[in-house]
Amino acid sequence: MEVRGLTKTFGSVTAVDSLSFTVEPGQVTGFLGPNGAGKTTTLRMALGLITPDRGTTTIGGTPYAALRQPARHVGAVLETAFHPGRSGRDHLRVYCRAAGLPASRADEVLARVGLTPAARRKAGNYSLGMRQRLGLATALLGDPRVLVLDEPANGLDPEGIQWLRGFLRHLAHDEGRTVLISSHLLSEVEQTADRVVIVGAGKLVREGSLDELRRESAGTVTVRTPQADALAAAVAGPGVAVTTAGPGALQVSGLTTDEIGHRAFVAGVELHELSARTSGLEEVYFRLTAGAEQYAATSGSAS
Amino acid sequence: MNAAVDLVRAEWTKLLSTKVFFWLLLVAALMGGGFTALFTALAGAQNGLPPVGSPEFTEVVAGVPAQVAVIPLVLGIIGMTQEYRHRTATPTFLVTPRRGRVVVAKLLAYAVAGVAVAAVVVAVTVAVASGYGSARGAAPDWTADTLGTLGRSGLALVVFAVIGVGVGALVRNQVGAVVGSLVYLFVVESIIASIPATADAYRFLPGGALAAMTGTGGGGGIDLLTAWQGGLLLLGYGLVAAVLGTVLAVRRDVV
Repeated sequence: MEVRGLTKTFGSVTAVDSLSFTVEPGQVTGFLGPNGAGKTTTLRMALGLITPDRGTTTIGGTPYAALRQPARHVGAVLETAFHPGRSGRDHLRVYCRAAGLPASRADEVLARVGLTPAARRKAGNYSLGMRQRLGLATALLGDPRVLVLDEPANGLDPEGIQWLRGFLRHLAHDEGRTVLISSHLLSEVEQTADRVVIVGAGKLVREGSLDELRRESAGTVTVRTPQADALAAAVAGPGVAVTTAGPGALQVSGLTTDEIGHRAFVAGVELHELSARTSGLEEVYFRLTAGAEQYAATSGSAS
Repeated sequence: MNAAVDLVRAEWTKLLSTKVFFWLLLVAALMGGGFTALFTALAGAQNGLPPVGSPEFTEVVAGVPAQVAVIPLVLGIIGMTQEYRHRTATPTFLVTPRRGRVVVAKLLAYAVAGVAVAAVVVAVTVAVASGYGSARGAAPDWTADTLGTLGRSGLALVVFAVIGVGVGALVRNQVGAVVGSLVYLFVVESIIASIPATADAYRFLPGGALAAMTGTGGGGGIDLLTAWQGGLLLLGYGLVAAVLGTVLAVRRDVV
């Protein structure tokens, strides 16, 4: 899935601004950004529901609206949409018919998401978790290789979130499907995503693997030693920065505590302290998207 | 071709998997039967109605089905606007990104639903008129002319279902579309018909065309179109609403 230069303006607000990124096949991509960053608008443009002012999205080289049988290629959960008076099973049968799939698929996907016992109940009486499952079941009808989910964990209880994570992991890692999952919380996709695409105020902030982001969050290591010069020499190397942080104290970045400890041991340098100050993934995410909230609260001005 | 049939069948599955259709069908049948019973009960010169068994009375009965035209209209409006009201437009247009096809499938599906409503209402009307009419003296004597009126009366219901889908695609807000079209039919058109300066225009409006189709409601000395002109005009309104609705549904963002 390739997004190229997507732009959409609503009135005077530019919701999405020249956004480009790639969703790699067979991986879970987290689509992150604060509320109002343009995630939903981007997904809706990618799926042909909103017409972009500029830019294109292709799925396997074809725009979504030009796919011959889109339900067989892409399954999407954008919101929990159903008629409250229609049973979950009938809801699915409607889309089986529209997609030219056998009606038996409805029962199969109901079983997959664990909704079989509630299949004939009106969807209006479903709990929030059941609604999310019904949405997921709708997306799975055509057995698509690509799944797009917009804030699927919103409003779910911890048990529901647990189930959803496991289910998505299974779909991606065991069945090899491509998954794009949007969220405003990094922690929500941290355990499932391989890559992240981070947006703020409609623009791309960062695109890359979660491992890269983790490396960035490694932060600095504080080392105290009576042989500061010897240690500085021992850890020196490409990508390593050493700064003096007072008498007998150094700040090292670019190495882990394990690596520094090992080099000190090999060089026979005595250490008094070796402590990591990691900023954490969440902090990196926060830093990347800081100031990008559409309606940021003015902080602490009240006395 | 198969895909088109699938889409129409999907619309029928939607229609038959909620209770809206059954309730509206019931209301339409009760209204048709009720009006016919009322006319039959009040038949006779002393009430200003032709007596039972007369060709004039049969003509009145033949026009009854057209009086429930608001029911298929509301059915069509709900059929289209429920997609937006319950936000199912999202999955619907995801499965069928060529949205024009969805609207065309809905128009076809609701035309057939309109035929079902028309068949039930006509059957109830004829049954009540025959049963109750016989009890009051004479069952209607159907001639080619009165059968023609009855047929056009039923056809009007089909056209109104199609108009409903078109209106629903134009005005996506369900309450707005239902209230707006009822206010238009019962308030705006009657005002236009009651003012001499604008009364001439009435015959070209949907209500005037409906009246022309069944030869009813032409009181007050307003000239109506002929039955077939009225029918064609009404069909024209249905098509215009459908085409406009399709174009808008294709262009508007689904947010």
